[in-house]
Amino acid sequence: MSAPVTHVDADALAEFRAGLVTGRRGARIAAHLAGCDRCAALDSELAGVSALLASVPAPVLPDRVAQRLDAALAAEVARRDDPERAGREPSPEPGEPARRARHRGFRLPSLRVLAPVAAAAAVVLAGGGYGLSLIAQGPGSQATASAGSAASAESNAAKPVAGTAEPTGRAAAPLASAPPHSGASARSELMSPANFTVVASDTDFTKATLDQDLAAELRVSPAAGTQHAPSTQVRGCVQQVADGAGLVRVLSAHYEGHPATVIVTSTGHGEEAWVAGPDCSGTNRDVLFHTSLPPGI
Amino acid sequence: MPDLGQPWPSDQELLRRHVAGDAEAFGELFRRHRDRLWAVALRTVCDPEEAADALQDAMVSAFRRAADFRGESAVTTWLHRIVVNASLDRLRRRAARPASSTGDEQAFEALVAQDGDPARAADTRLDVDAALRILPPQQRAALVVVDMLGFSVADAAAILDTSPGTVKSRCARARARLLPHVAHLQGNRSAAESVQPAQGGDT
Repeated sequence: MSAPVTHVDADALAEFRAGLVTGRRGARIAAHLAGCDRCAALDSELAGVSALLASVPAPVLPDRVAQRLDAALAAEVARRDDPERAGREPSPEPGEPARRARHRGFRLPSLRVLAPVAAAAAVVLAGGGYGLSLIAQGPGSQATASAGSAASAESNAAKPVAGTAEPTGRAAAPLASAPPHSGASARSELMSPANFTVVASDTDFTKATLDQDLAAELRVSPAAGTQHAPSTQVRGCVQQVADGAGLVRVLSAHYEGHPATVIVTSTGHGEEAWVAGPDCSGTNRDVLFHTSLPPGI
Repeated sequence: MPDLGQPWPSDQELLRRHVAGDAEAFGELFRRHRDRLWAVALRTVCDPEEAADALQDAMVSAFRRAADFRGESAVTTWLHRIVVNASLDRLRRRAARPASSTGDEQAFEALVAQDGDPARAADTRLDVDAALRILPPQQRAALVVVDMLGFSVADAAAILDTSPGTVKSRCARARARLLPHVAHLQGNRSAAESVQPAQGGDT
């Protein structure tokens, strides 16, 4: 580092200010600062950086982000109430619905838990939104009249925005009756291309190993990974690729070393996997690879 | 901690209720802190869409992992830590993608400009936000947490999952690197222009 007679550069000064330079070297810097106007000025400017940063007003959380968070939270509350619904189980046990129903009865600490579930279901009815696909599944989902009334009673001042779910508010939810439980098997619970979540995956898929990698991915409940709402571009891409088919899973992953969206659809005849490139959108069908998945994945 | 006195129920109590099954407790807790958490995410990620994704990832993760909270730190520290991790995670993923998001800049400026504070403050913020982008993510996160949010070095170390020494060092490098880009905002630019850091060290 600098000899005592030379000036002190900003890096060294910043470290000195942070208390990282001690001993003889620290003493040299301190001595130099005392006698050098130029370095003393630099030192005070460095102090000014922190002061400036502290003075910058904080950004305001945009309404649409707040609404999205509320919707995602409602979905989480619903998922916790009924985790199996959110996950795609590799092999549903016989008698699963009965066990699940009993489970619910014992696990829920109070009836209040059910109100947000109903509210979240109503959000889906209201036109879909971010992060709600976990509960927006299948005709037997929790779409009930009581859910609708719970949500309208709850709706708050925030403005709805196109493509964003109605905020669900909180706290004042009336006690809605428990939504009927469909007990549908995990496999039949598909997400709508209009309303799905994306699961982040670390997998770098390749053409040769796509089947087996995907089988491994699908064995894991999406709830176990990091999920996020799709960007507008990804949503457009998925809608175009799925072409009306239900979604089994949408993964944000890599394919042959490049970022890609892996879309698994179910058509009733079987499941199909599509690998879409990063430029895929509602107007650009950038599909890198497509295959039908062998049954039993 | 920058927080001035906790409202009742305390953060810890809300988290406890959440773990015990209260469906509303987490929402109340998160709403209490989400403005600051948004600031951390936005400034670390430097992109409003990705910041929103990161904040949502973090919220979901905190919701699910609440039972893991052991209370060695304040609940806010824990929440900030999860948001910083989610933000850095987003950046890592973005780094792996080809740079194709040209709309980001405009969206970002529209977003930071929208909340109508006095023009000068908004200008300063835009300049600072732009300058922050030149920093490596880890340095930026440290600087945001310490200098912008006012956490102590010890709390910042817990949030950033590193040692206090590393926090100090990242902040020092970040300040030195930022200096030439923000000196004009301080009204006296001579020294910064005449003595530029030889080169920015990396973490």
